[in-house]
Order: sequence, then C-alpha cells, then structure tokens
Amino acid sequence: MNMLSDINFAFRTLVKNPKFTALTVFVMTTGLTLCIYMYSFIQATLMAPLPFDAGDKIRKVDSIYNGMEYNGPSVRIHDFEDLKKRVQSYDVFDAYKEGTVNISTSDRAVRYTGHYVKASFFEISEAKPLLGRLLTDQDREPGAEPVVLIGEAIWKSLFAADQNVLGKKLRVNSIQKTVVGVMPASYRFPDSGQIWLPFTTSRKGIARADGEYVAVYGVLKTGVTDEQANSELKTIMAELEQTYPKLNSNKSAQVRTIQAALMGNDTPAIAFSMELSVGFILLLACINVGNLLLSRAFEKGKEIAIRTALGAPRGRLISQMMWESTLICFISGILAILFAGLWLENTNKNLLSIFPFEPPFWWNVALSESSIIAAVVIICVTALVTGLLPAYKATGGDFNSALRDGTRGAQSKSAGRLSKIIVISEVVLSCALLLLSTGMVYSVDQQNKFDYGAQVEGYLTARIGLPEIEYKSNEKRLQYYQSIRTTLQQEPGVEAVSFTRTLPGQNARFQNISIDGVDYGKKAQYPSSNSVTVAHNYFETMEINLLEGRIFDPRDKLDSPLTAVVTQNFVKKHFKESEVIGKRFKFIGTDKGWYTIIGVVNDVLHGLPMSNNIEKPTAFVSLQQAPLRFMTLTIKASQDPVALRATLARITLSVERDAPAYNIKTLRAFITERNAGMNFVSELFIIFSAASMVLAFSGIYGVMSNTIIQKIQEIGIRRALGADNEDVFKHFIKQGLKQLAIGLVIGVPMGIALVTMMEKASLTQGSMMLYIAVPTFISLVILLAVLYPVHRALKLEPSTALRYE
Amino acid sequence: MSTLIKLSNLKKVFSTDEVETHALSDINLEIKKGEYLSISGPSGCGKSTLLSLLGLLDTCSGGSYILNGHEAADINTKQRAAIRNKEIGFIFQSFNLISELTVAENVELPLTYRKDLTKTQRSELVKLALEKVDMGHRTKHYPSQLSGGQQQRVAVARAISGNPSIILADEPTGNLDSKNAELVMALLDKLHVEGATICMVTHDPRGAKRAERIIEIFDGRIVSDSAVSQVKPEEAVA
Repeated sequence: MNMLSDINFAFRTLVKNPKFTALTVFVMTTGLTLCIYMYSFIQATLMAPLPFDAGDKIRKVDSIYNGMEYNGPSVRIHDFEDLKKRVQSYDVFDAYKEGTVNISTSDRAVRYTGHYVKASFFEISEAKPLLGRLLTDQDREPGAEPVVLIGEAIWKSLFAADQNVLGKKLRVNSIQKTVVGVMPASYRFPDSGQIWLPFTTSRKGIARADGEYVAVYGVLKTGVTDEQANSELKTIMAELEQTYPKLNSNKSAQVRTIQAALMGNDTPAIAFSMELSVGFILLLACINVGNLLLSRAFEKGKEIAIRTALGAPRGRLISQMMWESTLICFISGILAILFAGLWLENTNKNLLSIFPFEPPFWWNVALSESSIIAAVVIICVTALVTGLLPAYKATGGDFNSALRDGTRGAQSKSAGRLSKIIVISEVVLSCALLLLSTGMVYSVDQQNKFDYGAQVEGYLTARIGLPEIEYKSNEKRLQYYQSIRTTLQQEPGVEAVSFTRTLPGQNARFQNISIDGVDYGKKAQYPSSNSVTVAHNYFETMEINLLEGRIFDPRDKLDSPLTAVVTQNFVKKHFKESEVIGKRFKFIGTDKGWYTIIGVVNDVLHGLPMSNNIEKPTAFVSLQQAPLRFMTLTIKASQDPVALRATLARITLSVERDAPAYNIKTLRAFITERNAGMNFVSELFIIFSAASMVLAFSGIYGVMSNTIIQKIQEIGIRRALGADNEDVFKHFIKQGLKQLAIGLVIGVPMGIALVTMMEKASLTQGSMMLYIAVPTFISLVILLAVLYPVHRALKLEPSTALRYE
Repeated sequence: MSTLIKLSNLKKVFSTDEVETHALSDINLEIKKGEYLSISGPSGCGKSTLLSLLGLLDTCSGGSYILNGHEAADINTKQRAAIRNKEIGFIFQSFNLISELTVAENVELPLTYRKDLTKTQRSELVKLALEKVDMGHRTKHYPSQLSGGQQQRVAVARAISGNPSIILADEPTGNLDSKNAELVMALLDKLHVEGATICMVTHDPRGAKRAERIIEIFDGRIVSDSAVSQVKPEEAVA
C-alpha cells in the first residue's frame, strides 16, 4: 500500500513538473539508447556464436609475417601440411582455398568467387544442398570426374533455376565440369562463396618456395583453450622457422575465432573505445539526472523536514524519493529500447552499404534476448545510481533548522561541496569523452582526405584474371596486357591505361627482403617491404612523382637484369637516406634474383591510411619482368570514369573470352569502400561527440546554474555588503574556473591517454587543435553557465535576492 | 546632530500581474547622525521594506530619499553598491552568514570589496570587529559550528567592520533566545554609545524601547514617531 502511494506520489510530482521530467527523460534516454545500441551491435557482430553445433569450437588459423597479421589464405600449403601432422589440439584441422572462378557459356563469361574445399568444410558448417549432393573427398581423388557445386545465384542466372540441372556441364576455368548440386543462397560459410570445387592443392612435386597459400580452419577438441592451441601453434611454427630459416623467417601463426578473423584485430580496440565512450555518455547522463534530482531534493528540504517531524523513517523517505528516479529511468528505458531497436533495425538493413564486404550470415543486428536483459540491468543500475545518492543526501540534512527558518544553513555547505564535485566530474568525463570521440572523427576525416601519394580521382579500375591453362607463358600474358592497353587507349574518353597488382589504398604483399652486402646473421632477421608489380607507364598514369633516377622503360625486359623503383620510405628505412641508385636487394622466399634500384618515387600508401601503413616502404617491380596472371587495370579517364564501364567490359571480353573484367569501379569508390568500416565507426563517434557535447553542455550548465540559483540568497548578502555586479561576476567566475581547472587537469590527460591508446592501435590520431579546442569548448560552457544565471540573479533587487528561496 | 537620512513622501508599490500592493505610502522621516531608532509595527506593515529602501537594497516607487546629501534616485548601481559597502552595515534576522566561509572570512567579506584596503588592514579591521563582539577566539570556525547567538554576533562584527555611517538591523534578535537576544541588544547599545547610528526594525517592544526613538508603522504609513521617554512604561514591557 505504502509502495503504491509512493509510486502515485512520484508520478504526480513528475506530471506536475513537465519541463523537469522532459529534460531528465531526454538526458537519460540519450545515454541509455547509445548504451543499448552499442551493446547490441557489438554482441551481434563480435560476440554472436556461429549457429552450428561446434560453432563455439570452430577456429581459423592465420599467419603472422613480420609482425603483420594476415587473414584469408595466408598459410603456405607446405606449412599447413606440416602443421596438420603435428597439431594435437583439434578434432578437425583442414584447409580450403579461395579464388575467382571464370564460368564461360557460349555467349558470355562471368567471374565468381569460388571455394576449393574438402568434405570437412561442409561437415563443420552443417551444409545442406538445395539440390543434388555436396562435394566429397572422393571428388578430390586423382582421376575423379571433374565436378562442381553451384550456388543458387548461378543456378538461377545460368540455368534459369532448372530442376534438372544436375549432371549438366559447365565450363569452369576453361574446363568442362559436371554440376552435382546446388547450394542455397543462405549458405555463406565462412563468407560469400558462389561456387564450390574440390580442393586438390598439394605440396607434392612443388618446391616450398612455390607453394600455394591456403586458408586453414579447425575444430578445437573439447577442453582445449585458445591459449593452449595458440601456444602449440607457435611452438610448431618456431620449429619450422628453424628448419626453413629463409622461407619461414619472422613467420608465425595464430588461432582465433572466425568472427575475430573476419573483423580484424583492430576491431576489439574499436569496440572497446566505443563501449568506453557510451559508458562515459551513460555516466554523464546519470550524473546529470542525479544532479537534477539532487537539486530538486534540496528544494524539497522543507517538505522532507515536515515528513521527518511527522515521524517518517529515513528509509521510507529514501524509498519515496527513489521512486522518482525509478520512474524516470523506467520511462527512459522503454523509450531507449524502442529507439535502439529501431536504430538497430535500420543498421541491419544498411549493413551492405556500411561494410566493404557482404555481412556474415550469422549477423543479425537487432535487439536480442541478451541485449534486452542487459538493457534491463543497465536501467535498474542507472535508476539506483541516479536516485540513491540524491535521496540519501537530501534526507540527511538539519531538519530542525529547515523547519525553524527555512534557511539552508549547514546543508548548503555540503550541497555546495557536492555541486563542485559534480561539476568537476562533468568536466573530467566531458573532456575525456570529447577528446576521444572527436579524435576518432578527426582521424577518419584525415584518412578520407589522406594523400595516397598517387592521384585517386578520375580513374576506373577492374580486376583481370587470366586463365591458368591458356596463359602459362610470360610472353602470352604480356601480349594480352599489351593488347588490352592498345585497344582501350583508342577509345574516346580514355587518357591512359596501365596495370598494377595493388592499387593505392589496397594492402600489398609485405615481404622479407635482403639488402646486398648486409649480413643478417644466423637468426636471419630480415627487413621487409611492400612489393607491388606495375606496368611501365604506371607512375605517369597515376601521377606518382619520380624523385631520383628513372622509372621503368623498354630496357626492363623479361630477359634483362631485374630492376625496381622504390619509395622514399624504402630509402629511409633500408639505406638511411644514402645514395641508392644502383644498389641491390632481393625478396626472401622467392627464386627471383637481385633487383637493382633504378629510381626513387614519392611514397604511395598501400592499405588503410593508418600510421603502420603510412610508414611502410614499397618496392615497385616491373610487370614486364614478372607478368602475373592477376592484375588490376587502371584507366585514367578524361571524362566521368563511370561512363567507361561498358567499354571496359566489352573490350576485355573481346580480347579474352575467359577473362572478363570484374570488380569494375572507380578508384575513389574502391577507396571509399575500403574506408567504409572506419567511416561507419566515425559516424557513430560523431553521434557520440554530439551526445557528449549536448550532455556536457546541459550537465555543466545545469549544475552550475543550479548552484548559482541556490546561491541567489548569497548573492543578495554579498550585494547588501557592498559587492557590485562586477564583484559578483568575478566571484562566481573564479569559483567556476577553479572547478574547470581541476576538471581539466584530470580530464585532459585522461582524454590524451585514451587517444594515445587508440593511436597505438592506429585507430585515432591526436591533434593539438583538438587538445586546445575541447578544453576551450568546455571553458566556454562553464563561462556561459556562470555568466547567464548570475546575470539573471543580478536582475533581482538585493532585497528580493535576500528573501529568495 | 546633522541629518544623515531624509525621506520625503517615499512610497513603495509591489506589482505582480494585475495586483498592486502599496507597501509604503507617504513616508517622511529624518534620521540624524548618532541616532538610535527602532521601527516597529505588526507583521506585513512595511518595516522591512522601509529598511531595504534605507539600505539601498531596493528602489522606491516615488518620493525622495536623501542619504548623506545624495539623492538615492540619482545614484547608479555601482555607486549604490559602494555606498552599501562603506556607509551601511546590515544585521539580518537570519544572520545571513555565508556557510562556506569561516567567521573571519565572513567578517572580512565587505572589506574585500574595497579597493583602498590592504590585506593587513583588512585583517586588522576584522580582528578589531570580532574582539568588539567577543568572538575573536572563533575566527576559523564555520557558521554551522556556532550557536545562533554567536552567529548573530559575527553578523554584527561584519556590519561594523568597515565603520559604516549607519547600522541597519532587521529583527536582529528574532531568531535568538532571550539570553542571546540580550547579548546582541547590549552589543548594539554599546555601539550606539560609541557613536554609531542605528536603525533597527523590530516588533519586540522590549527591544524597541532600548532605542532613543521609536517609529511605528501601520499599513505602510508612519503612525507614530516618538522619543523613548514618551513611550508609556506599560507599552514598553508588554
């Protein structure tokens, strides 16, 4: 009964004060929405288990080379087979290969993403075909009939969803294969494959240096931890390094979940910074609401005194006051769950545009059961935090004096101290949060404006993959590239055509190198460099500046000594900026010989614009001397590059029916896609920044103005004693500045520490401008929060101020 | 004795929405230097409003108020503050000490608004004022650590620390028990003997009779202005 009447009373109080209720509900809803959204998003993307029986035990094995963590097919087949013989931690330890697959019909050729797999691949992912059967290990046997398992998309586009597709022939990579099954579109393990072929890669008859790279997966034995599996893996890799020092120098491997591998190793740090930010925002919201409740509680000093005088026990008074915060948090909680749910639904719908890859099939960004439970816990804790302290403080005053004359007496002193602590806490949290979130936004903005060292506007790019069988010889490959270039260059709107293995912004091969004349000792601790194969005219086409020596020209042929053009970072890192033209180096682990440096160009960024990539050295080698089967074509357009899409597709197909151009997009679009994940993070941080600015402003302003309102009587006293307006302003500004100074002394280093932590993970970039702008913003808020309420208080006659309650 | 304060046809009207309240009407009053007068009357009669006007804490709605030869209406906000600081000392019913400041800091507060005093001079004046009210031993205490009587003595010290021309006391004993009230009244008597001009609002006839002159207000008008000797003994003790 008491409880019901308390709830009723609290409800009536909130209804009677609509402005106060709206403000507290707004602040709380903002904090809770961000918190629930972030928790649910991280749960859905990073923590969600794979939906298989062995989902919690499926792991990916990736190599670490020169400290760089690789994802995808990163383990040499020889290393995989050696590992498979020795590992003890797994029930299943196998490999698959990813690759682009050409499918040719009588009138067209299309490029698809293919997976070369073993039977265990389907077993662990609990695959069920739509039609026919899965691939078996018998299909991998030498002499077995060439078979293919197609995805629903291919079945619909090439066979018009023919129910009798099984047994039909399909020309895959220039070989006729029999269709044995159709996989549903929903099967996307571990990512989006469209066609499956038997895994036939083996080390047999292949030199270790020429071994293909495969992707390795495993199912951990029951009871084996990731630490144990990693330790075993590292031990075996260290042994392989001893056995094969040239090929395996600085090479190791790691075991991680498929989710972690997919999101990359930076993701936990990003997730941490996001959780930290929303945690700060929620804390800020709690402080704001707690402070508003506290001020109201102090205003109710007389009412509380009367209740105490009438015999209300303190516990009862506290519980009565707690209902107010509980109702605010309950209403805010419901609104927050609603808003977070809608926001998550919107994110889920737009995942394709947010991420540069097709979202994994197990992602369902929505309010899950665990998110709702977490939300309820967060709401309950928040209600307790925001309600308990104000209730406890408000019921612990000097009721006798409150009843006697209505002055705040000794209570004002403790309330004043508490207000100061609250303002300082607000400044600390706001400062740290704003530095972190604006640092993140600034960093992404810098990334988007980053100078890649090459021109990136006005180019159309496309991948080209030459069929292995027809293009075994280097001469034929060169002939193809020459033919494409000559034909395309005659088209209107095409200014120049070139080829590269790796576009600016794309991760390049990072290989160990050996500088001629340098002894690397028995441990063979080689330095490393990006290696990028380019056509002769690449530098001119991409507007990369030659700084020294020459670029590639017809002298650099298949049979002439190997040459390389290096970047400034290469010179700085490997030659300490001394004269490099004519110096030699070679790539470790390849059968190529020494490369002579013929020129130095400006730095070109390969990978995302983060500090570890920016400083990487790059060596460009000539396509003429190492004609690869897979290259990226770049067209410098004199018009809108998108208009050249059809021309590009038509010409590549006319030159080679089995090598259609794919991934056709502008270089700007390619870079934007690569940065999409970071841009999404940045957008979230813009929201965090905005929320923290609003909360910091409303919080600091609210606390300061409340403090000043509570001191209107004091202002009256000071004026009665002869203080003029200037004296009163000075007094409160001085007080505000003291709190500001303490807050900034703690908050700025805290914010810088967070930014530095994120900088180490290459996620954010500190900026002196922000280190100045954020404290300035907070100082201005404090100044405004002092000046305006004081100005209003000074409008009262001193006699009115003296009577103010 | 020269005239310190002269009020002619002074009035004060409070306006809230459409309601006008005439707090004071046609107040004519002269206070001479060194006088000790009390203003009495029932609650809500306008005593405190008159004191606020005298103390330049409020502005009048009509009439004239001349303080030390200066017409109050011609004095700007800054000058009013300076006059309050130098010429007037306030004593309030609820003490109005600032709870976050120590006793010494509270007493020093009005002196800090003067540009002509050094820190040493201020300390000297504070010490002197506190000794006068016998609170020299509690300089570092906070108001919450003092009894009501002690707090009011500190308030008196604050009022006299700057040697003002007039002390305006608004129900100085209203919040005190009889023993402490007597102590504070004795203190005011002593200050008067030393030459201070005191204007005290009180509705306590025993307090009022300690003044030389009693002004009675009723419904915002002065209804009586008499020397204490003319007050009937039975009224004084009632």
